[in-house]
Amino acid sequence: MDFFEEQHRARQRTGWLIVLFSLAVCGTVIAVYAAVKVAIHSAWDVPFDQFPGKFWDGALFWTVAAYTVALIAAASLYKIRAVSASAESVVLGLGGRPVDPNAHDPYERRLLNVVEEMAIASGVPVPAVYVLPGEPAINALAVGLDVSRSAIAVTDGCLKLLSRDELQGVVAHEFSHLLNGDSRINLRLLGLVHGILVIGLLGSMLLRTLGRTNDSGKRSKSGGGALSAVLFVGACLYLIGSVGVFFARLIKAAVSRQRELLADASGVQFTRNPAGLAGALKKIGGLDRGSRLLAARAEEASHFYFSEGMGRFTALMSTHPPLAERIRFLDSTFQGEMPATLHSPVALEEEVPGVSAAVPGARGIAAQPRAVVASVGALSDQHIDYAQSLLARIPQRLRDSIREPWVARAVVLALLLDAKPETRAAQLKAVLALGDPQLADHVSRASTALRAAPAEARLPILDLALPALRRLSSAQYGELRAAVDRLIRADSRIGLFEYTLQCVLLRHLAAHFEPNRPEPARGPQIEVVGALSVLLSMLAYAGAPDPAEAARAFEAGRAQLSGDRFFPALLAREKLDLRALDRALGRLRDTAPRLRGQILGACVAAVATDGKVTIAEGELLRAVSDSLGCPMPPLLPGQHIGEEPAAPTARAG
Amino acid sequence: MVGLIVLGVLVLVVVMVVAAYNRLVELRNRYKNAFSQIDVQLKRRYDLIPNLVETAKGYLKHERQTLEAVIVARNQASTAAQRAAATPGEPSAMRDLAGAEIALGGALGRMFALTEAYPDLKSNTTMNQLSEELASTENKVAFARQAYNDAVMAYNTGREVFPVSILAGATGFAEARLFELERAVEREVVKVSFA
Repeated sequence: MDFFEEQHRARQRTGWLIVLFSLAVCGTVIAVYAAVKVAIHSAWDVPFDQFPGKFWDGALFWTVAAYTVALIAAASLYKIRAVSASAESVVLGLGGRPVDPNAHDPYERRLLNVVEEMAIASGVPVPAVYVLPGEPAINALAVGLDVSRSAIAVTDGCLKLLSRDELQGVVAHEFSHLLNGDSRINLRLLGLVHGILVIGLLGSMLLRTLGRTNDSGKRSKSGGGALSAVLFVGACLYLIGSVGVFFARLIKAAVSRQRELLADASGVQFTRNPAGLAGALKKIGGLDRGSRLLAARAEEASHFYFSEGMGRFTALMSTHPPLAERIRFLDSTFQGEMPATLHSPVALEEEVPGVSAAVPGARGIAAQPRAVVASVGALSDQHIDYAQSLLARIPQRLRDSIREPWVARAVVLALLLDAKPETRAAQLKAVLALGDPQLADHVSRASTALRAAPAEARLPILDLALPALRRLSSAQYGELRAAVDRLIRADSRIGLFEYTLQCVLLRHLAAHFEPNRPEPARGPQIEVVGALSVLLSMLAYAGAPDPAEAARAFEAGRAQLSGDRFFPALLAREKLDLRALDRALGRLRDTAPRLRGQILGACVAAVATDGKVTIAEGELLRAVSDSLGCPMPPLLPGQHIGEEPAAPTARAG
Repeated sequence: MVGLIVLGVLVLVVVMVVAAYNRLVELRNRYKNAFSQIDVQLKRRYDLIPNLVETAKGYLKHERQTLEAVIVARNQASTAAQRAAATPGEPSAMRDLAGAEIALGGALGRMFALTEAYPDLKSNTTMNQLSEELASTENKVAFARQAYNDAVMAYNTGREVFPVSILAGATGFAEARLFELERAVEREVVKVSFA
């Protein structure tokens, strides 16, 4: 799977969706018009033999169309806004409960570990993790507009009935939805579909209110006419709504079905373990309630689930391919009979920290631009192994406590403490000046704990801290931002790591805390070529202190840009600052997915002219790819993919 | 035509009402979530206290009353916390929890004041670890409490703004109560024990 191709295709799919949606709107308009016409005829006693001749009434039709479209548009826009503001509202609507970060429950602990591994392996912040406690079926869903605002939820059955490998398969499937942008489309779809469902919802609301008044008292005879009129309107709305429901299911099914097979394939690619995912699907097949959810609002999100969440009569309306087909896709020996699933929770294997993976000994990591670009959004089992070994080398106490907001905040600040004692002292003084004496104490203690973790774990630790940081209140978030700012400015210069951390941290937290904030206008809009010049020059200088070497690095980067469309120029070092880089990244983020793939390749090439990437350079690359909206898995130690083996030159980092 | 305009306005009003309602639900979810963070830390604190008392018992043989008072206060606070967790923000539950927490803080303060007189206990490693853990949990409670109070404030402001206030009244969005421990009282109780 090619991440950038996928993103491109995802945009095309959106086009197809709009066609179906327009059809639904047309259908609804015609149905409303027909209802209005019938109502007028019966209300004014126009004989029905005049009906066919007078059916077409242009003026009336356009008025009805205008109001119907306005209503649908208002409802859709409103819902899209609502789910964009808080993607997690979908999960909450299903009765989701956030997993207790201290997770005393071993099953929840296992889930958190699996999700954290997958997030570190794919180079994205850890999403919020939810369980749907009242759901005995096996199912899961991922929601999110982007990787900064995403959540993964699993049902109680999924949590307890699956083995670790099976759970990992399900989580990998859901991660692939997050990484290739399905979750974003699904959220939009939820909002869009709400518009065509709204008329039906109004109808059923009317009928229900009517039913209640009917039950509650004996109505007078004179009210009967009005009542039957309301009944008629309610029933009409309900019937018209069923046109919407029909199209809504069709749209959701059409968009969702083939994506599910793709997510299965990606899930297997991530874990290199088809048995895990196939096992989970077989358990669904063997469970009498399968994957069907009980929540009242389950239908609304039917296209989010891991497996069919509703009972369906026809294949056309199914949001997922048949279970047996999905299993056969993963396991060609599958004969079709599902073993009965036990209702008792599985015995938990002991959590073994992954130690099998290679531990980077050398400071430099070989990297080929093409291989790195190909790995974006498409991690492999090696990345997961690497993430496991990295996580295993972070002290367990730190890993557990970083799930709490209080600790996460201290750890983030501690990551910024300088190695030089005098700078460090100034920084701690700056924290003290914030007026919370305990915070400074806690930060220096967190910094001691951090020393036990490997250097390349710095950014992954930040990823681990993000879910806890998202639970701060807005006031606390504001304080954290101020503290980060003070620490960075304490030595009156901004280091590369400081920039990287600030970039990653603020990008993901601002998306959560200030979703409606427009990108701050920083000076005039710049050209793509200008932005590319700034970015590549910056990276060239970052890797090479010598001007000639920097020029070579810059050339290597430029060579990765195909065609003659862009001719970035190496800028003078004095002209570059981090604000210019910020602006450049802001501009490049808006470019087309394919171009962004090339840009990332150019960045890797510029950084790795000698085929080696130091930890600091790797972190900078991560910040750049993050800013470009490309989830880049960590560079693997000894990654020798590509035509030529890397020259064994080590560079001081 | 006039009828259609009226219909349009009506639809607009419905959309706005639904939007306001959903916003209230979201704000309420947010403070309830924030309370669950406090709850997690409180539970851990209530688990720590019996261990602490058990360790101290060996040394404070003649101070049984103080130790028992800590356990009683801990049990009361734990019950109050359970009730508050069932209905976060509900005024009487929050008031009870705050009261019980203040009492527990006072009882713990008295116990720690006593330990000053027992150098053996003060140098006991388990005791040190436990009180360290307790102190850090208390910090976390305070931090989570701040987040909860911020969320409650946002919710209360949201439901009091004019047209929304009518809707909030009609649909049962009651005012939520802050979780505040009056520091002055806390300190006073500790001071009495020193006397």
